[in-house]
Amino acid sequence: MSTAELEHAKTSAGLPPHPERATMEGRNKVLGFWLFLGAETVLFACLFGTYLALKGSTLDGPTTQELYKIPMVAAATIILLTSSLTSVLGVLGLHQNNYKKLMFWFGVTVLLGAAFLGLEIYEFVEYVHEGHTFTSSAFGSAFYTLVGTHGAHVLFGITWITALMIQARRRGINLDTAPKFFVASLYWHFVDVVWVFIFTVVYLMGKVG
Amino acid sequence: MEAKVQQNQTQIKKQSSESSLKHLISFGWMILLTAVAFAAVALNIVPQNLVIPLILALAVVQVFLQLFTFMHLDFKKHRLTVMFMFTGIGIGVICAVALWILV
Repeated sequence: MSTAELEHAKTSAGLPPHPERATMEGRNKVLGFWLFLGAETVLFACLFGTYLALKGSTLDGPTTQELYKIPMVAAATIILLTSSLTSVLGVLGLHQNNYKKLMFWFGVTVLLGAAFLGLEIYEFVEYVHEGHTFTSSAFGSAFYTLVGTHGAHVLFGITWITALMIQARRRGINLDTAPKFFVASLYWHFVDVVWVFIFTVVYLMGKVG
Repeated sequence: MEAKVQQNQTQIKKQSSESSLKHLISFGWMILLTAVAFAAVALNIVPQNLVIPLILALAVVQVFLQLFTFMHLDFKKHRLTVMFMFTGIGIGVICAVALWILV
């Protein structure tokens, strides 16, 4: 985009329909973020492989079948899946240049993320009471590394989106803040994508045996 | 001129409402796929040796739904982003399967 076009986009009342790709910086941010997500995929894949290799090594501690509780996992899954939808509704607000819609749906996303995190902390405390800790067995180490890394991503995601919302309250939606929201929503969807594999590979496959 | 502007605006509105519907439909599919996966494990209706391949396939379908609807990935428009992500997935699958089988 030429500078004249950019000036026009800045001064005219409305933003372009895809403000996150309207500037060179925005486009590069989105492209670079996909490169990052590709690398994150490899990180999580290695943790999944490690977990699958070590999940049988329980060292007389509780096994996957004894430990996992399907209703709690189902609740966490519904919460995170819904938060993925609310963040895409926030992005629609961004595309419609609708500040209120953007802030409302990203706010809901943060709350759902916090609820998910609360549930996960409760789950970990339960497991520790049942003798399943980080150092109790190779299964324990692999489990907490995988699920804990995902939980850390959720924590980072809600902190990031909250910070962006504080910035947007001061500066509104413009060609500078729009790519940031878009990229944060990509991150949030990615966290949900990883959870899809966690509930499948860790919890459901753990129940099957 | 004014009529044209108005037409343009309704077009934009139409597009956005359509895409909102698209996301809701894809969310419905994700919930359905998740429910089928949980049911397959909890209710013992699927033969034991088919459960794991089935739930893995359901997870893969759901991830593709996320990538191409929620994350706005587009094969024609953003070739480079698609390439980055699929390189990551390809290397990731090799690493995960290798660790699983070899360790």
